[in-house]
Amino acid sequence: MASTEQLTFAIETFKRIRPVEFQRRFLSQDTRHDGRAFLQFRATHVVKGTIGTAQGSATVRIGNTTVVCGIKAEVSEPDVNTPDQGYLATNVDLSPICSANYRPGAPGDEAQVDSEHIFRLFGEVVDLKQLCIENDQAVWSLSADIVCLKSDGNVLDAAIIALMAAVEDLKLPQASLDPATGVVSADKAIETQLTLRKRLFPATFSLVDDAYLVADADDAEERLTTATLLVVLDDQGHLANVWKR
Amino acid sequence: MARPDRRDPTQIRALHCVLGQLNRVDGSAQFSAGDTSVLCGVYGPVDVKLYDEKLDRAHIEVKFRPDIGVPTTKDKWVEDAVRTTFEREILGQLHPRTLVQINVQLCQGDGSVDAAAINATTLALIDAGIPLRAMVAAATCIVRPDHSIIVDPTQEEADSALSTHTFAFSNLQSNSPAYVDSRGEFSLDEYNACYDMCIAAVDRTLAFMRTAVEGKILKETQTAL
Repeated sequence: MASTEQLTFAIETFKRIRPVEFQRRFLSQDTRHDGRAFLQFRATHVVKGTIGTAQGSATVRIGNTTVVCGIKAEVSEPDVNTPDQGYLATNVDLSPICSANYRPGAPGDEAQVDSEHIFRLFGEVVDLKQLCIENDQAVWSLSADIVCLKSDGNVLDAAIIALMAAVEDLKLPQASLDPATGVVSADKAIETQLTLRKRLFPATFSLVDDAYLVADADDAEERLTTATLLVVLDDQGHLANVWKR
Repeated sequence: MARPDRRDPTQIRALHCVLGQLNRVDGSAQFSAGDTSVLCGVYGPVDVKLYDEKLDRAHIEVKFRPDIGVPTTKDKWVEDAVRTTFEREILGQLHPRTLVQINVQLCQGDGSVDAAAINATTLALIDAGIPLRAMVAAATCIVRPDHSIIVDPTQEEADSALSTHTFAFSNLQSNSPAYVDSRGEFSLDEYNACYDMCIAAVDRTLAFMRTAVEGKILKETQTAL
């Protein structure tokens, strides 16, 4: 009995002081430390409409990774060059609340790159012309904030799934511009949803320890990742993104 | 469909580079492909901030500045592309607890800027004498609305693309890209076709870089004599 307790204690210690060796013990035996197969993804849970005050929202959980996305809609003037298009601004927030890897303050490099990546991806999904209220005068401006609450690896996949669900959940009140007063009024009783061009499905694969290709790496595996591959498919069988770094 | 500058679909623009024109940095290179021109200056190995210090290797930092205006998340994207590519190629283990700082300035943008930034960085690192595992070159392909594929697009060509594909390869492993950024709406066949076209373009770019570096070394040894 006493020797079994010592063994359990030793495993936890071993995991902390020799993280690479700990992972290798599993990977070299064709398994992973949480029991998954190499190409097995964690269970993903998506709940839409989790933020009552937002026009569209969703919460996504991939294993222990939790990401919330909220979309707020405001009325603004369109850009002179695109008078019939609204705006979709995407912002990924990676703060100390989700992981000790991130520092407080302005968005770090990873958050900015993820924000830019998601912005470019969703240019294929949302037709900005649907956000037009009155040509050249009033359009909807959507601010999508994607906040990571808990990071256990693969935050980017969760962020993409969360924004996808939030955009599907988005309900915009019927808006019209009164030409006499120049005031835009919205009728909350009548709500419209966007017709999306496509739905996106992301999958991240990581090369751990320069030797083992695993799907949906968690935090412990991400620390030993030497290369990452993101593949995004759409619902029509096309590729939307292949990103390897 | 003919291209505005009458190039073949597989033809890259005229390449031009100048090495070592900046005298304050440890190494520099100006790389141009047609009207796209990127200047890269490298400091390294130099002092590193305590927070960034890595015990077993050098810390790689990349700063990219656009031609006009303040840097935005678009420019952070290029920084990420350059940094993740060269973190693997720079032999940082030879210079632990130091910093290699790569500064990239876009002088003129006319499409394929990401690829030009990577190419300029390779040349600047060689000019600075930073030890590299391999030389890396990059190229961009696009799939046009008529589903034809062209390499090294200008900005005008890239604006109407169905999908854009940037690949970086090292001169050691041509079957394994160092960096891939494919975006838009495309099929696996189109992806593979762009992959092949970019490998050919990268081979030509690497040959150009080799000639440029050989020319520089020849000039240095001649002036030394």
